[in-house]
Amino acid sequence: MHTCSKLKREFTKKWVKGLQICCSSKKNIDIMERKKKIKLCADIALASAKNATTSWSIALISEAKKNDESAILVDSLIGPESAFKQQKTMCHNKRVRSKKILKKSCGISQRMKKMGRPHKSSNLATYIAKRLVKKRTQVLQRLVPGGEAMDEVSLIKEALDYILSLRVQVDVMRSLANATEALNQSNIS
Amino acid sequence: MSSRRSRQSSSGASRISDDQIIQLISKLQQLLPGTRIQRSNKASASKVLHETCNYVKSLHREVDDLSDRLSQLLSTIDADSPEASIVRSLIM
Repeated sequence: MHTCSKLKREFTKKWVKGLQICCSSKKNIDIMERKKKIKLCADIALASAKNATTSWSIALISEAKKNDESAILVDSLIGPESAFKQQKTMCHNKRVRSKKILKKSCGISQRMKKMGRPHKSSNLATYIAKRLVKKRTQVLQRLVPGGEAMDEVSLIKEALDYILSLRVQVDVMRSLANATEALNQSNIS
Repeated sequence: MSSRRSRQSSSGASRISDDQIIQLISKLQQLLPGTRIQRSNKASASKVLHETCNYVKSLHREVDDLSDRLSQLLSTIDADSPEASIVRSLIM
């Protein structure tokens, strides 16, 4: 998949740049602090490497902008083109709230309908299966950034892309960790 | 399939067809580790979703562990070696 290697390159570039920015002070950083910074840089770099082509990356970036410290990082990593505009999130929040109300009312009316009808065993099975799917969809919504504002189809599409991007992130981080470890060990021996 | 009703009730330009969802779910299934050759029906849709959630959680955990590991490695890196300066100039 050539898109994966392109994403890898973009992510690596941005992550290294971010690390240079936020880990530039000397060694007296606490290990936990440094870990948080590394992770933050990785997440922002991953989302910005997507260049606003997916909802989850937009959601991640706008979430990061809310915090002062990470906002600086975001600004330096996503550059002046800024396909990530802030107005989108404002509309999103309003839409989320009205969608939630709609969903609740739909769910209640559906449940009322189902209570009225006599249950055959096959109906019951599909009913249970549907509720399971709904439950699991809700869990997935919480895992994917910006998932609450998505309908089922977009959620699955975003989850597909998110998983691929996460894999890239893990690959690059692992390579750097292994390389640093190898360097360390060759030093000691 | 009783869910054909959803086609009539869906609003807007996009009709959420069963086939679309089935396709997406099978794509998800291909991404997951330990793929099983199974026909996707409603029951395994929830299974695929469940495994997707677990997979995303495990990927998150890996990122966390790797950040931990990197942070420790960078702090214990020997100050005077030439390799250390390479790494340091790269990321610090």
